[in-house]
Amino acid sequence: MSDQLAVNTDPGAATRPVVEAVGISKAFGGVQAVDGVSLAVAPGEIHAVVGENGAGKSTLMRTLSGIINPDSGQVLVDGVALEGGDTRAALAAGISLVHQELSLVPEMTVAENIVLGSTPTNAGFTNRREQRRIAAEALEEIGVSVDLDENISRLSMALRQFVEIARAVARKPRVLILDEPTATLTPAETDYLLDMLQRLAERGLAILYISHRIPEIFRICDRITVLRDGQHVDTVDVADTQPDAVVKMMVGRELEATLGSRRDARPGEVIVSAKGIRAAGVNGIDLEVRAGEIVGLGGLVGAGRTELIRAILGADPRSAGDVTLTHDGKVHRINSYGGAIRAGFGYIPEERRTDGLALTMSVTDNIALPNRRFLSRASILERSRIKKFAKKLADTVGLRPPDVTREVGQFSGGNQQKVVLAKWLGREPVAIVLDEPTRGVDVGAKAEIHRLVRALADDGKAVLVVSSDLPELLDLSDTIHVVRDGKIMGTLARDEADEAKVMALASGQTLGADAGSDATPEGEL
Amino acid sequence: MKTEKPVQDKPEGKPAAASGQTSAEPGIEERAGTVLEWMADRGIFLFTAALILVAAVFVDGFASLTNITDVFNRAAPIGIVAVGMTFVVISANYLDLSVVAQVATSAVILIAVSNEYGFVLAILAAIMVALLYGFVNGVAVGVFKANAVIVTLSTTFIGLGLLRWFSGGSIYFGPPDGAVRLFGSTRIGPIPLSMVVLVAMTLLLSFVLNRTTFGFLVKAYGSNREATRLTGANTSMVVIGAFIITALAAMVGGFVLAAFSNTAVSSMSDGFDFRALAAIIVGGTSVFGGRGSVLRTLLGVVFVSVLTNIMVLSGLGFGFQQMAIGLLIVAAVSVDALARKASVS
Repeated sequence: MSDQLAVNTDPGAATRPVVEAVGISKAFGGVQAVDGVSLAVAPGEIHAVVGENGAGKSTLMRTLSGIINPDSGQVLVDGVALEGGDTRAALAAGISLVHQELSLVPEMTVAENIVLGSTPTNAGFTNRREQRRIAAEALEEIGVSVDLDENISRLSMALRQFVEIARAVARKPRVLILDEPTATLTPAETDYLLDMLQRLAERGLAILYISHRIPEIFRICDRITVLRDGQHVDTVDVADTQPDAVVKMMVGRELEATLGSRRDARPGEVIVSAKGIRAAGVNGIDLEVRAGEIVGLGGLVGAGRTELIRAILGADPRSAGDVTLTHDGKVHRINSYGGAIRAGFGYIPEERRTDGLALTMSVTDNIALPNRRFLSRASILERSRIKKFAKKLADTVGLRPPDVTREVGQFSGGNQQKVVLAKWLGREPVAIVLDEPTRGVDVGAKAEIHRLVRALADDGKAVLVVSSDLPELLDLSDTIHVVRDGKIMGTLARDEADEAKVMALASGQTLGADAGSDATPEGEL
Repeated sequence: MKTEKPVQDKPEGKPAAASGQTSAEPGIEERAGTVLEWMADRGIFLFTAALILVAAVFVDGFASLTNITDVFNRAAPIGIVAVGMTFVVISANYLDLSVVAQVATSAVILIAVSNEYGFVLAILAAIMVALLYGFVNGVAVGVFKANAVIVTLSTTFIGLGLLRWFSGGSIYFGPPDGAVRLFGSTRIGPIPLSMVVLVAMTLLLSFVLNRTTFGFLVKAYGSNREATRLTGANTSMVVIGAFIITALAAMVGGFVLAAFSNTAVSSMSDGFDFRALAAIIVGGTSVFGGRGSVLRTLLGVVFVSVLTNIMVLSGLGFGFQQMAIGLLIVAAVSVDALARKASVS
């Protein structure tokens, strides 16, 4: 019964796993994020975990590192079960997670950040010499040279990423988990990182590597575990498989079969026109959206898509560029966010909980918020009209349960997203901008949101969608612009777009020769 | 593959604190309504009723008309300040500490300027000063995004400093037959005019908060400022408005306070900031913003005043009263925070 008795006595000891996940399940508010997934990593192995957005990769990794306490299942280190949801225990057992979002303290130095959380002390005082020694050793181990006394805020994103890895390595981990570490790196920096990981693995470290970038995985990984909709699809040896086979397992269907449910688009005149947009993360982009057209923005996380649409809307300042919204023969020049909304833009932001909804207020209040002028007379709210208005819109978007008096915070993610849509539908916007409209949303709500977005376009609205969910992007868009490094790297019409082309443009790397002959970018625009 | 699982039967879910409302409806995240949430939401009704009941039965001299009207007469100035300050708290800007300076300034202006230039000019001067306070606090917090506590702590210093500089710390007395005296001594039946003003201010501000687009935006801004900004609202004006409402209420509070004794002095409003905050928080308005109401604050005022009265009637000194108010605030904000933690996670 004690932990000591639970040592794994598996006879296949040569590749005995360091860390195992056994039957992990976790649900968030009705959505099964991970469903009975098992996984094992051996020392010296680089193990890829792949899947589409929302497949459950991050949830699984967060469970392994003790951030999330699973509903069922266990994490075993050397066959000994860890207490679920205990980050300290996971760290002590040697599981180190390199976060997807950088978690460094910008005002502190490199050395201070590397030892943060396990700062060496002498009678309660920071032992600076020891701190520098540990930091220098960790940086040397990963082969990166950076001034230990430099503030993090002065480092490039790539160097911050490396410091983050040094921080994980300084804990002397047995398993290193990296979640999309190359998302913000240039090709040269990516090369460096991949070589570094191979060196670390040769020294016996087990590595779990999450990435969307199939070529990287085929370059450094030994095995691949594929997740789809929270379930374990398969675990295969890289030597025995091909990139397109892996993609097929991720997507769960033939890639060509995705074009079925397309509507017939007959785009009208130009509604939204953005020229020469420059802003933080956006390096000169021209863009047009026509009436009845859905324009998709594809690309990797950090490519500059959210920055682009926020600059177009004026929600964040732009350093150059002009935006106009044209309807009813009038040309509105967009110079501020308030002006954009008044001219007829609707904006569904990426983070619905922080930017989209007032969670402590009712569905009715949230829907009334952008429509308050129309729902009041002489600045006094007209309650009965507001109630009817909210009910009608809740019906339109299919809110479930259709109880508009409840606080929005009590609804599931999918229903919350429907409320965000309802808010803006009420204004009857001329152009609507959606950022990751179905992230963290269950399958049913996702289909309904897609239906609503198509209906908007059919109704003659100009629709601009950012999505990292490739099938969604391909399914919804009439035209896809692929963004990388704040520039449009390629534009694909509906009939020529497929996942391979979008990914090739997004990552800036051609897929391996095995991935198919049509996988090369359509020329850099 | 044989893996012996060591015992790890963790009990699922929350302990049995869950109350009856288990909403298993699809689309709704199940959430246990905890005792804490209930206390933060409804506790004030129960506590106030219980306190009044206990006081009426056990405390000698509480349940008399003279005592009750006296309680409200004393409570009125702080109550008026509190119903106004509720706007700042709901907008998630913590509180306006400068009400201390605002109340004293308004009281001194009312009496000193009336004595020299007449009642009407005094009122006009006080309104100008109140607008200035609201504007300065509102711009610093709403436009420059400075921290409300530090800004209003500073404007308290500036305001009290100016007041003491001009008044030299002297006490101003109104003439025994002046308008101020009349206002302070008028009663409608047994009800002092101050109480009427408190109730009128509560109803007015309650209307502003609940029925106007401005009040709606104050609540929305307090619940989620970025989401509110992204609906196209001018959020700077929302914050400035909340501080201006607070300043105008503090001005009225200062009038009532001055009329009460027909005197004014720069130190007369010491402790108004925290007493008003106590009433607001005890009433159930959340310091995290977005939740609360003006009527709740009125209830909080009743609670705090009755509690103070009980302590006075029981012979407990000012020191003890002060300590009790401090404890009350700590308890109320802790319940607020715990309830929020339970509801957000």
